Amino acid sequence: MERRVIFPNKLLPYLLVAPQLAVTLVFFFWPAGQAIHMSVLSQDAFGQSVTFVGLDNFKEVLSDPDYIKTLWRTLIFSGAVAVCALAPALLFAVMAERVSDRTPKSATFYRTMLVLPYAIAPAIAGVLWLFMFSPSIGILAYGLKKLGVDWNPRLDGNDAMALVIMAAAWKQISYNFLFFFAGLHSIPKALLEAASIDGAGEWHKFRTIIFPLLSPTTFFLLVVNIVYAFFDTFGIIDAVTGGGPAKATEVLVYKVYYDGVHALNLGSSSAQSVILMAIVIVLTAIQFRYVERKVHY
Amino acid sequence: MKFIHKAIAAAVAGAALLSGNAFAQNKPVEIQMWHALTGLGGETLAKYGDEFNKMQSDYKVVVSFKGQYPEQRAAAVAAFRAGNPPHIMQMFDAGSGDMMGASKAIVPVSEVFKRAGMQFNPSDFIAPARGYYGLKDGSLLSMPFNVSTAVLFYNKDAFKKAGLDANKPPTTWPELIAAAKKIRSSDATQCSFTTTWLAWIQLEQLGSRHNVGLGTQSNGRGGLNAELSFNNPLYVKQVQTLIDMQADKTFSYRGRSNDASAAFQSGECAMITQSSGAYGGYIRDAKFDWGVAPLPFWPEAKGGPYATTVGGASLWVFNAPNRSVAEFKGVAKFLDYLKSTPVMTDWAKTTGFLPATNAAFKYLTDEGYYAQNPRTAVAIGTLANGKQGENTGGYRFGRWTEIRDFYHEEVEKALQGKQSAKEAVDNSIKRGNVAIRAFEKTATQ
Repeated sequence: MERRVIFPNKLLPYLLVAPQLAVTLVFFFWPAGQAIHMSVLSQDAFGQSVTFVGLDNFKEVLSDPDYIKTLWRTLIFSGAVAVCALAPALLFAVMAERVSDRTPKSATFYRTMLVLPYAIAPAIAGVLWLFMFSPSIGILAYGLKKLGVDWNPRLDGNDAMALVIMAAAWKQISYNFLFFFAGLHSIPKALLEAASIDGAGEWHKFRTIIFPLLSPTTFFLLVVNIVYAFFDTFGIIDAVTGGGPAKATEVLVYKVYYDGVHALNLGSSSAQSVILMAIVIVLTAIQFRYVERKVHY
Repeated sequence: MKFIHKAIAAAVAGAALLSGNAFAQNKPVEIQMWHALTGLGGETLAKYGDEFNKMQSDYKVVVSFKGQYPEQRAAAVAAFRAGNPPHIMQMFDAGSGDMMGASKAIVPVSEVFKRAGMQFNPSDFIAPARGYYGLKDGSLLSMPFNVSTAVLFYNKDAFKKAGLDANKPPTTWPELIAAAKKIRSSDATQCSFTTTWLAWIQLEQLGSRHNVGLGTQSNGRGGLNAELSFNNPLYVKQVQTLIDMQADKTFSYRGRSNDASAAFQSGECAMITQSSGAYGGYIRDAKFDWGVAPLPFWPEAKGGPYATTVGGASLWVFNAPNRSVAEFKGVAKFLDYLKSTPVMTDWAKTTGFLPATNAAFKYLTDEGYYAQNPRTAVAIGTLANGKQGENTGGYRFGRWTEIRDFYHEEVEKALQGKQSAKEAVDNSIKRGNVAIRAFEKTATQ
């Protein structure tokens, strides 16, 4: 039997959700609607000559080899960011968990330090890494040069990609750490103790108990990290490489920005943002549908 | 944010209507000016706005910084579409073609003065700027403001250390290559040569210096149907030179825009081709003796070196359905103030940009400014006093900001060893022409 809360006043519930609805409509649905509208138009930047072109913008975008290259690049970038942000976060969480078992007071300090990078704005994080690895003045670039590495992210696409992946992953480690840390807390101590009594080593315990029990958290974080790499890394890429050299670090969201703001090619840029919108809808659907159901203890 | 702005604007507009005529007569007409100048340039421009407001009470100029040129332009485009663009917008050289393609969005500066009933003589401006921002009939579309050109800066201390004559900077590319090799072999600095603004200097300025065009239709100035045609041996040779110099470690690529500047300023690179506008920064921050030389040229080119062309930015006047005559009059008055000799000379002296008017140039010369500061005279020398040809007066293509980036990307690929110099040039042209055709389709002229 379904239980329902009945409001005596018919208007009240609508009034209560109105502010939230208004914010959603104005800041999400309106711009999204505009993007969809503009994606079927061909126009000059100033809107002086506007013609309806149907799906031409989409055809043009999807048949553009550069766009397909950017799509692959985005997938590689997102995968790398997710792995580079998840692995250290898990390691830190396991280590912090062990420390907090033995000396609970110092755990707070470690936790705070590890969460700190999350509070830094993407552009600032980007500039930080840019300076450290800047060929002319960066301290780490200097070190690399001493080691005989020919480091120049301004020219070498792989160097540039490595740099933005590091900066983007570094910022996300804190977030992942928090979730892993909380996840570790919810693993029943009895299981681990039983394993210890059976003579299991640390690695064996991690492989057979901790990691499988963390899998819902890991899967959730994987989706969140991929979404993050897809959409929230714009600030870092813009500050560090500006999408270059030779497009080596241009991901989908950066291309939307470049084509819209720099090239003033509004039709193509809008079509691309509609495609991105579709991607994020799919990713969110996956998250809602499978995170809860498919991953079981 | 935009929503809130609109709400405020509506409230203000409502209040203005209610308050009636008596009030409106006393209230100064507001003139919005947007610019993209950071640091010293921006501060100085804001100062001129304040001074103009103090001089008279009919108009109130509001000078605001709106981000780098592309962001500023996107903001202005959005404001125009919302029916409320700034009155005056500062737009960089490469954006000129786009602005000219939007004839309904702008009012040519000559026309603004005419509407305001004020005198305006395009020949007051230095010839290269007049050519770049003007029409064939001699009228000006935008008003030249911060004018610069490309020059070679070199580290005199490093030259001495390498056993080179510090008072004889290289004048040609072969001389520059030889000097770079000597600096390299003597380890005077870590890096011999680098460049800022890759497309602007190694493509656009290079073309002007050798009087070789970038495209058909008199370098794009004759119409929107122009095509890029810079698959010329000169341009290929330039890219090849950079590749070769990179191979023997005498050239170091440090990014597309101004990023390489830090490498010269810190003493890491001994030579840099750079905008003359960098002068002020080096005076303040470079801790070594340095000199300025004209942009090098290839000696085998026919007719010797030609003049370099104009860079920097100009001031555009936006049109909007609700613009009043009083507003255009205010715009004309403020522009007139900006181009007055005291302002222009102060601007040149404070920022290191070149004077945009002949009168200001003459004033500075007569005053002995160039004699006392010979390093600032180099840029104006190659720009205004250099040999003029049909391709030194600038170029005009739609979507040029994007095309510059095509060139950057293709040359970067060549420097990475992924393609030849010729492929880099050919691919830039191919991609550029696609953009130009798309622009032609949507442009209104």
